[in-house]
Amino acid sequence: MTWLVWRQHRNEAYFAAAALAVFAVLLLVTGRQMASQYHSALTACAASHSCGKLNTLSLGTPVMFLLVTLTAVVPCLLGVFWGGPLVARELETGTSQFAWMQSITRSRWLTVKAGWALLAAAAWGGAVSALVTWWSSPVNALNHQNFQPGQFDIQGIVPVGYALFAVALGIAAGTLLRRTLPALAVTIGVFAALRIVVADYLRPHYITAITTTFSFLHPPPSPTGSYWLVSGGLVGPGGQVPSSPANGGPTLSLDGVPISINNMPSACRALVFQDPLKTSSCLAAHGYHGLMTYQPASRYWAFQGIETGIFVLLAAALIAVTAIAVTRRDA
Amino acid sequence: MMASSNAAVIQTRGLSKRYRKVTALSEAAVTVPEGRISALIGPNGAGKTTLLRLLAGLARPTGGEVAVLGSPPSQDPAFLAGIGFLAQEIPLYRRLTVEDHIGIGAHLNSRWDGVSVRRRLESLGIPLDQTVGTLSGGQRAQLSLSLTLAKRPRLLLLDEPVAALDPLARRQFLAHLAEAVAGGGLTVVLSSHLLADLERVCDHLILLAASQVQLCGDIDTLLAEHQVLVGPRKDTTAIERDHTIVQAVRTARQTTLLIRRKGPVIDPAFEAADVGLEELVLGYMGQHAGPAPAQLTTIGEDQ
Repeated sequence: MTWLVWRQHRNEAYFAAAALAVFAVLLLVTGRQMASQYHSALTACAASHSCGKLNTLSLGTPVMFLLVTLTAVVPCLLGVFWGGPLVARELETGTSQFAWMQSITRSRWLTVKAGWALLAAAAWGGAVSALVTWWSSPVNALNHQNFQPGQFDIQGIVPVGYALFAVALGIAAGTLLRRTLPALAVTIGVFAALRIVVADYLRPHYITAITTTFSFLHPPPSPTGSYWLVSGGLVGPGGQVPSSPANGGPTLSLDGVPISINNMPSACRALVFQDPLKTSSCLAAHGYHGLMTYQPASRYWAFQGIETGIFVLLAAALIAVTAIAVTRRDA
Repeated sequence: MMASSNAAVIQTRGLSKRYRKVTALSEAAVTVPEGRISALIGPNGAGKTTLLRLLAGLARPTGGEVAVLGSPPSQDPAFLAGIGFLAQEIPLYRRLTVEDHIGIGAHLNSRWDGVSVRRRLESLGIPLDQTVGTLSGGQRAQLSLSLTLAKRPRLLLLDEPVAALDPLARRQFLAHLAEAVAGGGLTVVLSSHLLADLERVCDHLILLAASQVQLCGDIDTLLAEHQVLVGPRKDTTAIERDHTIVQAVRTARQTTLLIRRKGPVIDPAFEAADVGLEELVLGYMGQHAGPAPAQLTTIGEDQ
């Protein structure tokens, strides 16, 4: 059966390997440049005792950042090109009837086909993610952004979970709909919707976020490393939290924490546009405190593990549904 | 499980298949003894494909019992090894070569006769390194039959395999089939609209119309049981009492009856004649086709 899978899909495999090779060369070359740039900047600033100002250093080119950001769609592409047609094309062209009348069970047929597709997706998604993670390491060290939405989704192990889920989704949609094109549309739609729902509504709550208040007179007791600032806000003089949502409307970044301008007392609100630097002292004078909700850097891998686990479980459920449909339904 | 009679390769009882609101096959009782080439005949939509798919295990019955090679059809490799099925569309992997398909067969079947399939394709002039998508319809049908035979099945189920073929390719295909059956141990069920072809190779008949089995049996026996009576236009209740009237055609002066005999016909007013396969088939199909004879004349021609 593996022999058949290879015969059928070797062209896709060659193409994917070639695309990955090109991507790898690009990232290895630019990543090495970036790493040496970062390290020479570190050496230079250590000599002149000015490493506190290192965050003004600009690394990499916008094109490369765009390319790396775009790897977020790689799992979806795998779902569309590998998952969707895997069973649907066979049902559409009737070749499943040819395969199912050979002396093997349909469940073995599906296991081998889906098994290789999922394995390839995990390997490919994993390779892309490993390259991106390595490439981003100087940027991570400099900007501590890798726990933020967007960066979190393209580094570490979550891309492997996304890739497995997308391919399983494609296989299941193709099997249930029996046609490739609608399966592709469903794969893209469901994948995008689920990623957004998980990232925006589930991920902030994997572990209860830490909430602290701080005075605007002193710099906030900033969490260290690559923490994820989930939200910022204001606490009024009486301890009341203004009703308007913390992330609604325009915000002003005070000590790195976004504060909703609409929630500020009107006296301070006027200052935002005239003299932003005085806004914090104005807020402090009116008895306001800052509020920040964040996930500390130490939870990064726990979050990666939880999110990967969610998508792997969903993938397993989809494969189970596919297996039932293939073995129980009429050919 | 049903107790299958010793030599029946196919035995069904009350076999039914419903798709939501449509009944594709209703209460079918079919028996095909070993070593026969059975012609599966019926108008479009009569349930021929459904019956073949149920026998192959590609579809599940919604009612009744079916035993093929002594067991109900399943996805078990041991069952599948005994069955060769050729779908009407002749599905093969268009982008793979002929050689690739031989490889697939060799990898997915425990009993596989790779030598004979190569020899057969060679004698048919089908190049092994060509992709299947570039083969002609006749070559694809031949390749498909060769691949199916290489499984060394005990039962071959063919769904209109010659429909797309020109007369020469059709003859080659049927010769190929007859040769395989002559080798022994093989039973065939073959659906087709081409009565002339079927008459040449088949010795057994399953006639389907309106989702029901109208006739099932040995062709010679069935022909001997039926007769055409031609006589004056008159009351036929006496004949109806003694025999089964399959079809009656009445003109102003004459009555033509196709009957299934239950004894000798003794009405001297009627002239009795033997019936041919085509007359028999058309007679039964006409029962369910309504008054429009135009539909019947298409039988036996390419559709």
